This record gives sequence, C-alpha cells and structure tokens, in this order.
Amino acid sequence: MLHDYGLLVVTGLLWGGVYLLMAEGLNLIYGVMKVVNLAHGDFIVAGGLVTFSLFAVYHLSPIAALPLAALLLFVVGLAVQSGILERLVRGGANAELRTLLATFGLSYIVSNLALLLWGGQVQSIPFLQGSLTIGRLSVPENLLICSAFAFVFAGVVHFWLTRTVSGKALRATAQSELGAASCGLNIQTIRIASLALGSAMAGAAGALTIPLIPFQASSGSYLTVQAFTVIALGGLGNYVGAVLAALLLGLAEAFASFFLGSSAASAVVYLLFIAVLIFRPQGLLGRAGRV
Amino acid sequence: MAIGVAVAVAIAFKGTGYAVQVLTSTVIFVVLACGWNIISGLTGYVSFGQVAFFGLGAYLGAGLIVKLHLPWYVAAVLAGLGAILVAAPLGGIMLRLQGIFFALGMFGLARIGQLAATSIPGTGGAMGQTVPTTGNAQVTALAIIGLACAAVVLTHAIMNSKLGLQLMAIRDDETAAKGSGIHAEAVKVVAFCMSGCLAALAGALYVWNIGYVDPTSAFNGTFELQTILMVLVGGIGSKWGPVIGAIMISLVGQVLWARFPMQEQIILGAITILVVVAAPGGLVSMLNRFGWLRREPVWAPPPAVESVHEAAAPSQAVARRGNGAALHGEHLTKRYGGVVAVDDVSLSTQAGHVLAIIGPNGAGKSTLFDLLSGFTRPTAGSVRLGDRDLTGLEPHVVARSGIARTFQTSRLFPTLTVWETVLVAASSLHRSRRKAVAETARILSEVGLLDAWALLPERLSPGQQRLLEIARALALHPRVLLLDESMAGMTPQEIARVHVVLMEAVRQGCAIVAIEHVLPAIAPLASRVQVLDFGRTIAEGAPADVLRDPIVIEAYLGVGEEGEVSLSGRV
Repeated sequence: MLHDYGLLVVTGLLWGGVYLLMAEGLNLIYGVMKVVNLAHGDFIVAGGLVTFSLFAVYHLSPIAALPLAALLLFVVGLAVQSGILERLVRGGANAELRTLLATFGLSYIVSNLALLLWGGQVQSIPFLQGSLTIGRLSVPENLLICSAFAFVFAGVVHFWLTRTVSGKALRATAQSELGAASCGLNIQTIRIASLALGSAMAGAAGALTIPLIPFQASSGSYLTVQAFTVIALGGLGNYVGAVLAALLLGLAEAFASFFLGSSAASAVVYLLFIAVLIFRPQGLLGRAGRV
Repeated sequence: MAIGVAVAVAIAFKGTGYAVQVLTSTVIFVVLACGWNIISGLTGYVSFGQVAFFGLGAYLGAGLIVKLHLPWYVAAVLAGLGAILVAAPLGGIMLRLQGIFFALGMFGLARIGQLAATSIPGTGGAMGQTVPTTGNAQVTALAIIGLACAAVVLTHAIMNSKLGLQLMAIRDDETAAKGSGIHAEAVKVVAFCMSGCLAALAGALYVWNIGYVDPTSAFNGTFELQTILMVLVGGIGSKWGPVIGAIMISLVGQVLWARFPMQEQIILGAITILVVVAAPGGLVSMLNRFGWLRREPVWAPPPAVESVHEAAAPSQAVARRGNGAALHGEHLTKRYGGVVAVDDVSLSTQAGHVLAIIGPNGAGKSTLFDLLSGFTRPTAGSVRLGDRDLTGLEPHVVARSGIARTFQTSRLFPTLTVWETVLVAASSLHRSRRKAVAETARILSEVGLLDAWALLPERLSPGQQRLLEIARALALHPRVLLLDESMAGMTPQEIARVHVVLMEAVRQGCAIVAIEHVLPAIAPLASRVQVLDFGRTIAEGAPADVLRDPIVIEAYLGVGEEGEVSLSGRV
C-alpha cells in the first residue's frame, strides 16, 4: 500500500516536471506581455508532431529533434508576434481581450493545420521504453529523462533571467514597459523575442513529451489550460512559483487518475484551474493585489 | 426585421431541403450570437464558454424528450429554465473574475461540461443518443425563427432599458458604476442568466432539429469560435451586430464548407484574427462612421427648454438632503501588508459645511476616500452616517445611502453620453423613469452641460469632464459629497461654475469633503481644513490657522523653511 502511494508521489512529482516544461514558455510570454497565448498548447502539439515525423522518417531521436522543433516554433512565434500581435491596437480597455481573441483564432488555425498535416489520429514515439528500478519503485525511463531535463531547463531559464543582462531586460519590460523604454530598451524587439522564445520552449516541450503522452491534433487546448493552471497557481510570471505549482498539479493529477480514472483526472485539472482563478488569483507565490 | 422574418419564413416553406437546413443553422447562430452579445458585448465580460450552456440545453432538452416524453416545446422551455437555475449561482462565482480570467474560466467550464456529458451515466456517453423528432423541417424552422425573433427583441429591449444602461456602465467602468449606485454583482448575473438561457434554448431546439445529441457536437468548440467570430464581425455590443454577423458568417461558412471542408477552422481562425486586428468594432462600428446604425441614447428626450422648467424645482431635492446627518469616520486604519496607508484617521462632517483635506502626495487621502465610500475595507475603524453604520458595506449600498464621490483620475463611461452618465446615477436612486429623466435634466442644466447632453466624454474638455463627474455624483442626492481633486485642470471660469453648484448643494444641507491640491480652489469654500501626511492627521482647524502651522509647512516644504503657505497657494 505504501509502495503504491510512494510510486504515486514519485510519478506525480516527475509529471510535475513535465507540466513545468510545458508551462515555462507561457510564463515567459505572460510575464512580459500579460498575454495568454491560447495557441500555446497547439504549439506544444506542433513541436511534438514535428518530432514524431522526424523520428518516423529520419529516425532522429527526440533529443536530436528538439533543437529543430524549437527552431521551427521560434520562427512561428516571431511571425505571430510581429505579423499579428504587434498590429493590435495597444492600450485601451479591451487590449488584453483583443490579444486573447486573436490567439483564440490562432489556436484554431494551428490545430487545424496540424490536423491537415498529420491527420486526426493519436501519435507517439517509442523512445526509451525501459524503466529504471530504484529499490522497489519502478519508474519509466522516458519520464525520468523528460522530468530531469525539465528541471535543468527551468534552472537555466531562471539563471538567464536573473543573472544575465538580456534576461533582466526581459524582466524589466515585464514590470514596466515605459520604464524599460526610458532605459533605452527596444521594447518591441523584446516583445517579439519573448513570444518567439516562449514558442520555442513550447516546441521543445512538445519534442520531449511526445514519447510520454500521445498527442493528437486537437490536444492543444487541454494543454493550454493545463499550462495556464500551472502558471496561475504559481503566481503569474513567477518562475519559482511555477515550479511549486507544477509539482502540485502533477501530484493532484496522479492521485486523481489513480482514484477517479483518467477523464475525471482531466476534469480535476479544469476544476483546479477555476478554483485557483476564483480563490487565489494571485497564485501561491504571487503578491496579493497584483492581478 | 419584419422583412428578414418574412424572407426566413418563405424559405422555410418554399425552399429546398438544403436551403431549409442552412436557414435553420443560420438562425440558431443568430440566437447564440445574441446571447453571447448580452454577456460579452453589453456587459463586457467576454466568455469563451457559451457552448457550455448550449450543451447543457441540448442535454436537458434531449433528456426531457427521451426520458419524460415531453413535447419538444415544453422540453425547450424547461431546458431554458434549467439553464437559468444553473447560471445564477454559477454566474455569482464566475463573474467575480475579470477579463481574461473570466474568459478562460468559462472555457474550462465548457470543457468540464463536455467531460461530464461523456462520463455521467444515462447521457449516452461519448456516442450520444438519438432524440425523436417530428421529422417536419418546416415546424422546426419556424420554431427556431420564433426563438431568434425573441432573442432580437430581447436585445432591443435591454438596450433601451435601465438594465442595458447599467450593463454598459459596468462594461465601461465597473468601479464608477458601483460608485453610482449600481448593484453590479446582481446585474451581471442577470445578464449572464439571459445569455445562458438563450444558448440553452438554442441547444434544445438544435437537438430536436437534428435528432441526435452527443458530447462533441453539443459542446462543440467550433460553435464557440463561430459565435464569437459572428459577433465580432457584426459589431460587438451593438443591437444589430450579432444578427448581421451571424447571417454573413453563416453564408460565408456554407460557401467555404462546400469548397474547403477540411480548412474550415483555419479560415474561421484567420478571419477572427483579421477582424480583431483591422476592425475590432466590427461592421456596425464601420457603418457608425457614416452615421448608420448608431446606438440611440437610452431614454433620451430631446430636452427642450420647457421640459427643463417643468422638471422638479430645486426644493424637491431638499427632501433627501438636510436632516443634518453627519458623516463620522472614526479611527480609520488601512494596512497593505507592511505599508500603513491610513493610520488612525478620524474625521467628521457637518451638513452645510465644507471640509478640505490636503496633504503631500502619497499621504493617504484617496485611500481615505476609498474607506469612506466602501471601495476598500478598513483594517480598523468605522464609518457612520448619522446613526447608520456603513463600515464594510458594498460601494453601491454606500452610494445609495447618501455618500457620493468623484475619483482622482476621471472615471467616466467612454461609450455613454453625458445624458446617460447622469441618468445611470439618477435611475439607481429613482425607481420611476419619469423622475429619473427629470432629475437628470435638472442636474445637467444646473451644471451647464445640458446642451452637451448627446456628447461622449471624449468630446468634453477636461474641466467639463470633471464637472460631469460631479454632476453624476450629485444625481445620487448625496448627504455627503466626496470630491477627489475635482478641480484639477479646470479653468478659472469652470472653477467658478463649480463653486456655484457646490454652494447650492451646501445650501441644501449637503456636506462636502474635498481633497485638493489647488488651494485657491477650495480655500474660499472650506470652513475647516484637515492635513494628512504619511497616513496620519497632522493638523486640523480653520484654514487660516492650519496653513500657518509649522508642522504643515514642514510636511510640504521640509525643515528649515520659514513663512506660511499662503491662501493663494504660493509660499
């Protein structure tokens, strides 16, 4: 019995790492532009499906395919921000909602494109199918690798944001566009760069997770909600909070799945999402009153 | 609209089977679009979960027809009522969220609905279940046309009523709306219920039309996208926008679907982006530029001079004012984490007197007003008006009890005319439309804005905008008027005008508390001055004494300066 719970906890924490990976990019985008990219989940799916194709045709492992997927999504993100989102009327009462509506439309475009290119069936990659046995716990290898990568990646992003000038420039723009512009930062470039980077992260996340989670073209919206739950629970724009939140979400889903079945587990994610929005909109580590 | 209905009915009877199907689906979208417009366009709470109610209605309707063998029209009505029962508590919760959080929350609800429909036993699961229909396409089409007419009529009725006025005020500035006496929480829920009911009715009729219900089509995300797109294209928040948009996009969609069936979502998504970028106000806003389909101001009279004289004589206003009810704020404290914004401040007013509150920036003056008007709960202390305890009550309750305020930065309603701005406040006080209209005319005439009644706030000068805010506050017949830097940016003539208005209010027994930086604007009126610094009262008394107090001088100018802060505002 304890063994079962132990496995649940470990699995939950590892899945937390996966969710963190998927949410990182969104946190970056939201942090800088206060924009929820509703197509984020679809970007993840796109990254995963591209990786799938590279694996199926060229036998590239996901690790090798990762930079390619990330690059592709980087370009897509560049195009989206400079071509669409930069053209939206800035400011005014409905600016946030306009961006939301635009990315809402984008989400349908991307998921439909994915449907056209890859069909509607569920795809996955058999990669690192073995499992690692520690003591009495047996953990799938691919989950371990993915999760480990996620935490390393989160550390790298955190380092970049806090210790490098470019990272600080990004955070400065997030906190005050006017102030950042007054310091000579080109905020338009920073906005474009952050959406591109966030999209690249989504692509990378997709590449790493497709061996774990079967994707289909329509999975995107669920992943977006999941990623948004993580960042909302952690405090929007708060990178440390996102780690905690991802772990919590992983645990919640693991337990819900075990006790209630998988479709109920998805409902739990949506419910948690709504609960966070209502009861603690600033998230676990956000400052009250910031929202 | 009569023409449209006639055309629709003609198609229903004479058209081919295909044409009737197109008609039916178009008209269902008209209903969905009108419903979405009520909560998202009129009230400003954009929802991405309209299909949640559509699906709810579909399943309720199907269940009632299949399980209880009720005739379709009974099932539809019950489905609509069921939706209202669900929407009321749900709205109470969800409408606490703002902006994108509300949108995403509703999106999540729609997905939960879909999951529930798949998993709950008895619904037929993922495969759905069939629903017996009459098989008569004409009857179905007529029923749906009837519903669409009802939806359009409802939208018109709302936009010409007090409810519509309040919804638009909430959309424009919810804080100012509450301060004008609108019970925002309740009004929003009403809109939400109407919106959900329409969607549910559409769902019930849809199910009856196609004879089948299953989770994927009932909670269909593409319906959501299409509904939103239709209202965006037509003109969000307008009367005719949803209808125009629904018809246009439906027809376009039919053409597209025939030729590019696989790319439907791509095209719809692309059009959505295009509309949001290039024409966020939709077709109606483009037509507005030519003067067509402009929104008519609510309850607008052409206010002729005679009607103003007929309006209530000033003496009527005295009935609410006077009575010497005094405002007492006692030991008010407000802490934000470690920051003490207001520290043990007490103040009291007397009817017919003006109290000026001055102090350096960041002294906590506006926070004090927030505490007095119910916008913020005090950490400690109490607010009493007469013998009534107002501490911690909702802003709209405080407003209706007799404390009205203006805001430091003008909070006007960008899409409401001058007339409607004051009418909103007047109608939250007076039940009768005639009285509210008369009051609005009287107040606007008193402040000199009656000629500008049809203008939007952006067309007024900054001084006039401040004046409008004061007029809106006065429409609440306040016993205490809280003015937050109201005279900033006014010309001397405008200040003189405001003095006349304020003196009249004071003469009728209103008490005024005014935060001001422009000392010459308030010094002649004030009988007492209270000085705040770092959240605390540092001096209090007659203007001449206070302004000579060394503590006050130090607060403004620092240590080591000599002389007094003169009444002309210069040292």
